[in-house]
Amino acid sequence: MSMENRRPQLNLPELHQLKWLLGGLLAFIAVWTVVYMDVQAWLLLALLTLAIPVMTAKPGLAMRVPRWVHLLAFPVLLSVFAVDLLSHLKEPLPPVIRLALMLVLYRVITPRKRRDDLQIIVLGLFLVVVGGVLSVSIVFAVQIVVFTACALLFLLVITLVNGMEEGLPLAAGATPGWMHVEWRRLAHRLRECVDWRVAVLGGLLFAGVVGLSAVLFMAIPRFELGNSLFLDRLITGHTKTGFSENIQFGDVVDIQQDTGVALSVDVSDRSQVPSELYWRMLVLDEYAKGSFRMSAAVKYSIDRVSAQNSRVQGEAPPLANESVWIFYLETGTSRFLPLLGGFNEIAFEGEKEVAFSRDTGLVMLRQTPSKMLAYRLEGMQTGSSLRLPEKIAQIKVASDKQELKAPSLTALDLHADEMAKLAAWVAEIGAPRGSPVEFARGASRWLAKRHGYSLQSEIAPGRAEADPLVRWMDSGSPGHCELFAGAFALLARTAGYPTRLALGFKGGSWNARSESITIRNSDAHAWCEIFDAAAGAWLRVDPTPGSVVVGDPANASKGEAVLARIRDDSWAARFESLRVFWYRRIVNFDQQSQVRLVRNAKKLADERLRALKKTLRAELEALKGWIASPWDVRRASAWGLAAAGIACGVVGWRLAGRGAWLRWRGGRTRGGVDPVRREAGRWLRKISDSEAGISDLACVRTELEKLRYGRSANWPEPMGIFRRAKRALAGRRR
Amino acid sequence: MSTAETVSSDARGVAAATDWNGVGFRGARNRSRRWSRLLWSLVYPQRGQRILPTVPGTLLIAVSLGIGTAAYNTSSNILFITLSLLLACLVSSGVLSWFNLKGVTWRLRVTPPLRVGRDHAVMLELRNAKRVLPTYGLWFDFMATGVAKPVRRALAWRLDPEGDTHIEWTFCPQKRGAATVELVAVGSLFPFGFLRKIIGSELRREVLVWPAPVEYRRFPLVSWRQPGLGEQKATVGQGGDLLALRPYAQGDSQRAVHWKASARLRRLVVRQFATEMQAGFSLWVQTAAEAWTRPEQFELLCSFAATLAEDLFRSGRLASVALNDEPSHPVRSVRDLELFLDRLALAVPVDQPYQPTTSAGAGRRFNLLTFAPDGARGVLAHVDGKPAATA
Repeated sequence: MSMENRRPQLNLPELHQLKWLLGGLLAFIAVWTVVYMDVQAWLLLALLTLAIPVMTAKPGLAMRVPRWVHLLAFPVLLSVFAVDLLSHLKEPLPPVIRLALMLVLYRVITPRKRRDDLQIIVLGLFLVVVGGVLSVSIVFAVQIVVFTACALLFLLVITLVNGMEEGLPLAAGATPGWMHVEWRRLAHRLRECVDWRVAVLGGLLFAGVVGLSAVLFMAIPRFELGNSLFLDRLITGHTKTGFSENIQFGDVVDIQQDTGVALSVDVSDRSQVPSELYWRMLVLDEYAKGSFRMSAAVKYSIDRVSAQNSRVQGEAPPLANESVWIFYLETGTSRFLPLLGGFNEIAFEGEKEVAFSRDTGLVMLRQTPSKMLAYRLEGMQTGSSLRLPEKIAQIKVASDKQELKAPSLTALDLHADEMAKLAAWVAEIGAPRGSPVEFARGASRWLAKRHGYSLQSEIAPGRAEADPLVRWMDSGSPGHCELFAGAFALLARTAGYPTRLALGFKGGSWNARSESITIRNSDAHAWCEIFDAAAGAWLRVDPTPGSVVVGDPANASKGEAVLARIRDDSWAARFESLRVFWYRRIVNFDQQSQVRLVRNAKKLADERLRALKKTLRAELEALKGWIASPWDVRRASAWGLAAAGIACGVVGWRLAGRGAWLRWRGGRTRGGVDPVRREAGRWLRKISDSEAGISDLACVRTELEKLRYGRSANWPEPMGIFRRAKRALAGRRR
Repeated sequence: MSTAETVSSDARGVAAATDWNGVGFRGARNRSRRWSRLLWSLVYPQRGQRILPTVPGTLLIAVSLGIGTAAYNTSSNILFITLSLLLACLVSSGVLSWFNLKGVTWRLRVTPPLRVGRDHAVMLELRNAKRVLPTYGLWFDFMATGVAKPVRRALAWRLDPEGDTHIEWTFCPQKRGAATVELVAVGSLFPFGFLRKIIGSELRREVLVWPAPVEYRRFPLVSWRQPGLGEQKATVGQGGDLLALRPYAQGDSQRAVHWKASARLRRLVVRQFATEMQAGFSLWVQTAAEAWTRPEQFELLCSFAATLAEDLFRSGRLASVALNDEPSHPVRSVRDLELFLDRLALAVPVDQPYQPTTSAGAGRRFNLLTFAPDGARGVLAHVDGKPAATA
C-alpha cells in the first residue's frame, strides 16, 4: 500500500507509547477517587501513586517483572481479597475497592494487551462511579468528565493501534521497541502530527458529548423501581468532624481548625432568617470526670424511636405560608442533623432510618451519611428558646427490665473544696434566685471579666483528681467556647438551674451567587441551654465573649439585614455556589424537577413566540406605514439608486470581484498553492466524479486543466470557466 | 460482439468514473435528497450493512444496562449522570464513524491478463473527499472465484483529507474461465471500537482467467521449417531486414506505416520486414467431448494451446487461430491473440462433432497445428497430422 501524506503521522511504536501514557493517566485519575471514600486503602493508594508515574515514564520496567509474579498474581490477589472480605463481612464494599486497586496496580506494572487496557477502563469507571455515589461531591462531575475524555482518547488510540497491527506478526518474549520512550520526542511528534483543526473539532465533539449527556440526563424518564441505595449500605460512614455522641472537651476546637464546608442551607423566605444563627446538633447533659458527655438516657431516648421513614413529624404546629428550609449536609459531617430549633416536619429524599427525640429535640440518623444528605424542613422555629421537657422520661430497658435514669441536671459530682469554690463564685456573681436569665447574664459577665477568648487555651496544672473546669475558672487564663460553656454549666448547676451543653455551628456566610447560607466546620461552637421553669422552656445561653448571652439582642435585625451582614463575596464563595448548584440542580434532580423544567421551557418558548409575533407585527406595521407614506421623486430616486448600487455590487463581485480576490490571494495560502489553481483542481475533481464520457464537459475540462496546470500568463478568465463548469455539472445532474 | 468480448473489454481494466463507490456516493450529488436518503438508510439499511457490537461494545452495553438498572433502583443522579455519559459516548461513536466514512469513495481495479497459477494484483483505489477530516481504520474484504473465504486488507495509515491512496490484494486464480473479483464489504471499528460497522459492497469485476502456461517438448520435426514461396504471414513482422513496402492491412501497427510513401501514393503503405516471410502456423483447437473425456486432460489441452499460441506469436509465426467450427481468425496483433486466449479461457468440451467448413479449412492449408489426447494424461500437438510437440 502506498500513500501520499501531506502531514506526518504517528507510527506504530509512537501510538503504543501514547497508549501506554493514556493508560497510566486513566489509572491515576481512577485511583485518586478513593480519597473521597472512607476505605482503609492508604497503603495501596501510596503504592499506586508511586508506581503509576514511574511505570508510565519507564515502560521498559514492566518487562523486568519476573515471570513468577504473573503466575502468582491471580491466586494471591484472590486470596488477599477473600481474607479481606471475610474480615469485613459487614462492609463488603471496601474489600471490593481494595481488590480493584490491586488489579489496577497489577495492570500498571505489567505489559498490557488490548484486553488488559479494557480492564483498566472498566476498573477505573467502577472506582469513579462508586466514589461519586458515595460522596455525591461536585468533584465527581469533574472526575467523570476528565475520565471519559481520557477513556475515549485511550479507546481511539487502541483502535488505531489494532488497525495498524492487523496482519503483523506477534513478537513475543523480547522487549518491544516502543518501550524505549523519549517523551520529549513524542511530544514534538504529537505537535507535528496533530492538525489543529481536527483537534478543535475533537474538542467541540467532546463538548457535544457532554452537552448531549446533560440533555439525556434531564430527559431520561425518572421513576423509582425501589428505594434501596445499595452502595452506601455496603460501607459504614464515620463522622469526620467529631460531632458524635462521644464528643470530648476540646473536640469542637479541633473541628474549628477545618475550613471545609459542613452544610449549605437554602431558605425560601429570607425574612425568616434570625439575627443569630445557632445550628443545634447535640446536647451533652452528663458531667463526670471533668468532661461533659451525652448520657445513656439521652442516647437511648433517641435510639428507641428509630424508624425507616421519609418524613419526621416535629412538635411545632403547622403555619400558613411557613418558610421552607433545605439543608445539604456534607459527607461525614455528623449523623445528628443541624437545626435552628423546633420544626413541624422534616422530609428526606427516600426513606431513611431516622430517630427524633421529643425530649431533647435532636434528630439523628442511624449512620453518618456517606454521601451528601439533603433534607427539607418546614415550620422551623428560629427563636432562642426551645419548648422541651426539663427531664427525660425514665425509660425501661426491655432487656433487663432495668430503669434507665436520666442524670440530674443540677447535681455535680465534685470534690467538696471545688463545690465550695463554685458556691463562692456563684455568690460573687450575685444574681437573684429564680431568674435564669439574670443569672446567665451575670455569670457570663463574670466569666468574661476573668477570662479572655483564645483557641490556644491552657488549663493550669493541679492535682490529678482536680476538676479541670474548676482549675480553669480558678486560673483566669483565656479559653475557648467549650471552656466558657462548660464553666457556665457548672456555675448554673451550682446555682440550682438545670443546665446542659449544646453543640453545633454558629453563624455562617451568605453566598449571594447561590443564594444560600454556607456553614463551615470552622463555625463549630459550643453553648449552653438553661431551663427556665417559669417559661417551661430551655433558653439558649452563649457565655463565650462576643456573643449575645441570652435571647435576641435589643433592636436585632432579621432577614435581609442579617444576610447582608454575613455576605461573602470571596472566590471560595464563588466555588461554593458551584457546589450548591450541583446539589440543587443535579443531585436533587427528580421527576418533579423534570416537570418543572418542561413547564419552564414551554413557558419560555411561549413568551419568546409572543415577543416574536409582537415584533413582527410591529415591523409589518412600520413597513406598511413606510410604503403608504407619499412617494416623491427624490425619495423614489434615492431608493432606486440604492437598489441599483446593490445589484451592481453583486454582479460586479460575481463577474470580476471574486476572480480578483483569488488572484490577489495567490501564493498566500497554505502550501503556496495559487487559489485559482486550487479552485480549478476542485472543479476537475467534481467533473471526474461525474459520469464519464460527457462531451459537454470535455471542453470545460480542458480549460480547467489549463488553469490547474498551465502557465498563469496563458490563463483564460478563471471565473468564467468556473461558471461554465458549474452550469455543465448542474445540467448533467438535471 | 460476443459475450466473451464484452467481458474481456471490461476486464481490460478501463474503469470509468462511475466505478467509484462509497457510502452515500450517489446521494451526495443531490443535496436535497441526501438527508432523506440518510434517514431512510437508518430505517432500512442497505443490503449487507450490519452493525455488530464488539467485546468493548458489549461490555459498554452491559455496563450501561447495569448502571441504568441501579440508577432506577436507587434514584441516584450520580448513576443517571454516568448512564447519560455512556449513552452520549455511544451516540458520539456513531457520529464519528459516520464522519469517518463520509466522503470516502473507492473503486476496484483488476489489471489483466489473469492466468491460472500466477499472482495478480487487485488494486482498490481510495479517495477521501472531505476537506478537513482524515479517515482512519477502514478494512476491506475481498473475494474472488476460487477463494474460500474473504481476504481482509486494512487501511493501516491515515487517509488525509482530499487525499487518495490504494490498497493491493494479490490473489492467484486456480481455475480457468470467467471469474469474479469482488469487494465484499468495507468495515470499520473507528473510533472507539464499540461497534463493528460493515458496509456491504456490490463492487465487482468480471474477469477472464486464461489457462496456465505449461511446459512442453518439441519434436525435431521438419514442419517447424522455413516458409516456402508464397507462404507469407498476414501481419507485419516486427524484426529483421526491411524487404519491401505493401498496402496496409487491418491489424497492422501504426508504427509500421511508411508515411512518406503513403502520402505519395495517397493510400496507407506499411513496411514489410523479413520476419513476415517466416512460416506461419494455423492453430486449430478442437474440443470434442468424445475425444477429451478427462477434465484434467482437457485443461492441459487449453493450457498447451494457449502456451503454443503465445510462443508462436512471440516468434511471429502464428498466422491464424480457430476453435472448433468457428471460422479461422487471422492473428495480426496482440489484440487478436488476447481474443483467442479469452475464447480458450471459456472453452468447454462440446458434444457436437466437428464438421470442417470450406472457409475454416482455407486458413489451415499449411502448417495446421492440431491437438489430440496423448494417452490418459498428455496432449500431443500435430503439425499437418505429424506429431510436433507434447505436454
